[in-house]
Amino acid sequence: MKGNLKNEEQLLKEIVSNYNVEGKIQREKRVWINTDKENLISICKFAKEKGFEHLSSISVTDWIKEGEYEITYHLWSYEKKVLLTIKIRISRKNPSAPSVSSIWDRNAQIHEREMHEMFGVEFKGNDDLAPLFLDDWQGLPPFRKDFDWREYVKKEFYNKDNEREVVYRE
Amino acid sequence: MKKESSKKKSMKKIIKAIWIFNWFNSCGFCELVPVVGSRWDMERFGMIVVGSPRHADVLFISGYQTLKSIKVAQRIYEQMPDPKVVLALGSCTMTGGMYWDSYNTIKRLDDYLPVTMYIPGCPPRPEAVFEACSKIFQHVKEME
Repeated sequence: MKGNLKNEEQLLKEIVSNYNVEGKIQREKRVWINTDKENLISICKFAKEKGFEHLSSISVTDWIKEGEYEITYHLWSYEKKVLLTIKIRISRKNPSAPSVSSIWDRNAQIHEREMHEMFGVEFKGNDDLAPLFLDDWQGLPPFRKDFDWREYVKKEFYNKDNEREVVYRE
Repeated sequence: MKKESSKKKSMKKIIKAIWIFNWFNSCGFCELVPVVGSRWDMERFGMIVVGSPRHADVLFISGYQTLKSIKVAQRIYEQMPDPKVVLALGSCTMTGGMYWDSYNTIKRLDDYLPVTMYIPGCPPRPEAVFEACSKIFQHVKEME
């Protein structure tokens, strides 16, 4: 690893010693923290106080074989110029996670709304989880690995007797 | 010679220029850009893009249409004054195109809107757009 890692090392040390979690310096300007959902809010609050005011994104990864969702929070600090990545694992059955909208407000709210729509994760504490892109959606959340979109499309769109679409159905 | 109805006569007078309202998703506007640009320049034929569907004669609909955006397109169509014409540009609009197995795009436009003409291609050639537009004049003249 090249360069001066003073910021990264100090940050990692503080978080690991305060909250008893795993973490590592991925590379220059990148710090990863693995934690659980009980610790999430307190770590996020701590990070906000340390200057991580920009929540770049919230993403969900579906690890279907392990039966878990991984939620990733990317935080950026304009002072330290470090991207802090916080990861939590939650169960795939009745997935729920605490909302960070109390910390980053609308910034977090819109990301959580999208992830709720695409993966069905319930963010507790978020007051608006209304559908964002999908209207009148009936099926499974579409980004889940067990959502068979070909079956869904065949059922929803190609079920009519239409000469032009026979090609698709065969 | 058959006598023309008064409506038809007045229509003939009116139809000199077509005013267009665009409803374009994703890459949609790229398909019309050459027509707007200086080489093919649609304004010399009196085709201009207007800001409100209430002023428009023609609705250009292009790009893939999602289930959410087609509702907006339907509302736009309803706001347009008669006589109105809908032109579908490009393959995604007409059949879903490369999004034929997407869970959120429509697969047949004419399930949702009465389409007057289809202009195929990805993107359609400017010549094809102009031919379709000249057929609009024909279409209006033949209307009862």
